[in-house]
Amino acid sequence: MKTKHLFIVLILLLGLALGVYFLRPKPLHGTVIQSPEPSYNFTLTGVNGEVSLSDFRGKIVLIYFGYTFCPDICPATLGNVTTALRQIGSKADDIQLIMISVDPERDTPEKLANYVAHFHPSFIGITGTKEEVDTVASLYGIFYQIKPGSAATDYLIDHTATLMAIDRDGYLKLVFPFGVTPDEIADDLKYMLRQ
Amino acid sequence: MNKYILNGVYSILALVMVSAFAFKVFQPIQVLPRMQLAPAYSLLDQDNQPFTSEDTRGQFVIYTFTYTNCTAPCFNINETLHEVQSRLSEVQLDGIPVSFVTVSIDPDRDTPQALQAYANSIGADTNVWTFATTTNKTLLKTIIGSGFETYYEEKGDGSFAFDPAFVLVDGWGIVRSEYRYSTEVSNADRILRHLGVLADEVRNSKGTTKLAYEAAHLFLCYAP
Repeated sequence: MKTKHLFIVLILLLGLALGVYFLRPKPLHGTVIQSPEPSYNFTLTGVNGEVSLSDFRGKIVLIYFGYTFCPDICPATLGNVTTALRQIGSKADDIQLIMISVDPERDTPEKLANYVAHFHPSFIGITGTKEEVDTVASLYGIFYQIKPGSAATDYLIDHTATLMAIDRDGYLKLVFPFGVTPDEIADDLKYMLRQ
Repeated sequence: MNKYILNGVYSILALVMVSAFAFKVFQPIQVLPRMQLAPAYSLLDQDNQPFTSEDTRGQFVIYTFTYTNCTAPCFNINETLHEVQSRLSEVQLDGIPVSFVTVSIDPDRDTPQALQAYANSIGADTNVWTFATTTNKTLLKTIIGSGFETYYEEKGDGSFAFDPAFVLVDGWGIVRSEYRYSTEVSNADRILRHLGVLADEVRNSKGTTKLAYEAAHLFLCYAP
C-alpha cells in the first residue's frame, strides 16, 4: 500500500515538473507587444506597384526600416534575417520581410528591389514620398534623420534599427532590438509560426 | 497501473490549472501592458532646439497634449504633473529618470518663445519637463492623433477641443498606460503607482524572475 502511494506521489511530482516545463511562458528574445489594435496599414510603392501591409494577411510580416546606402546595420540585420529564414526552412514561405526605405530621395523602387534581392529572393523593398515615409516611420516608432556622410555616400541617415514582427492577423507582436542573432530571430519566428 | 498513471496525469493537469488560476487571481506580480509603440517624432522645444523621441530613450516619459492659450484651469493637466514631480521620491525608481513632455497642439501661436514663457509662467523645470511642437501640422496630427491616439481639433474661435490625456511611455518607447478620465483615484496617484510598477519590472525582470514577469503579461496581471 505504501509503495502504491509513493508511486502516485512520484508520478505527481514528475507530472508537475513536466507541466511547469511545457506550460512555462516562452522566453522570447524580442519584446512582446500586446497591442489591442492591428498595426497601421500602410500603402507604399514597390517595383511591382503598390504594396500594403494588409496584402500579407495570413503571413508573418517582418518590417525593417533602412536604406540602400546604409553602410552597416541594415545589411547586418537583413543578413541575419536571411540566415534565420534558412534555419526555419520551408515554413519560411509564411514569412514576408518588407524593407521600408527612409531615404525616398535616392531609393527608387527598382534600386530597392535590386538591393533586397541580394539578401533573399522573397524580400520586398518599398518607398514613397517623404511625407508618406514620415507618417509610416513615426507610427512604427522609427526615428530617422539625415547626417553628413563621405564624398562617396553624400549623406547618411541615422535611424532606429529595430526589426518588427507582425502576426498573421496584422497585429504587432515582437520588436527585436539591433544586434539580435539569427538563432534568436529564428527561435521567435518558429514560435510565432506555431501560434 | 494504467489507472494510476491516468489519475496522476489528471491530478497534475488539475494542479497546473489551479496554479495558473491562482496566479491570475492573486496576481503575485503585477505589470503594465505593452500597449503599442509610441510614435517617433522630431519637434522643436521651448529653447528652439530639436527635440526627438530618441532623446527620451531609457526614461519613463509622461506625455500630455495642450496649448498655452487654454484658459484656466484647462483640465488641471499642469497641476497633476507638478504633483507627480513633487512626489517622485515616493517611488523607488532606482535612478531611472522620469521626464514630462507637453506637446502643443497649437503650433501657430505656440512658438518656442511662447512655450518658454508658458513654462516660466507655470513654474516648470525645463530640465525634466519639455514643451515642444512642430509647424508641420500634418505630421503633428499623425503623431498626436494616430500615434498617441489622442483627439484634438481646432475650433473656429481660436480654441481647441482636445482629450486631456496623459500617456506613460517606457524607456523602450512602448506605451504602457493611458489616463483619459477621472477616477476615484487621482491621475497623479495612478501615474505614481504605475511608475513604481514599471520600475519594479525593470529591476526584477532578469534571469529566472523574467519568466514570472512574462507569465504576469501572459495572464494579464495588470496593475489597476
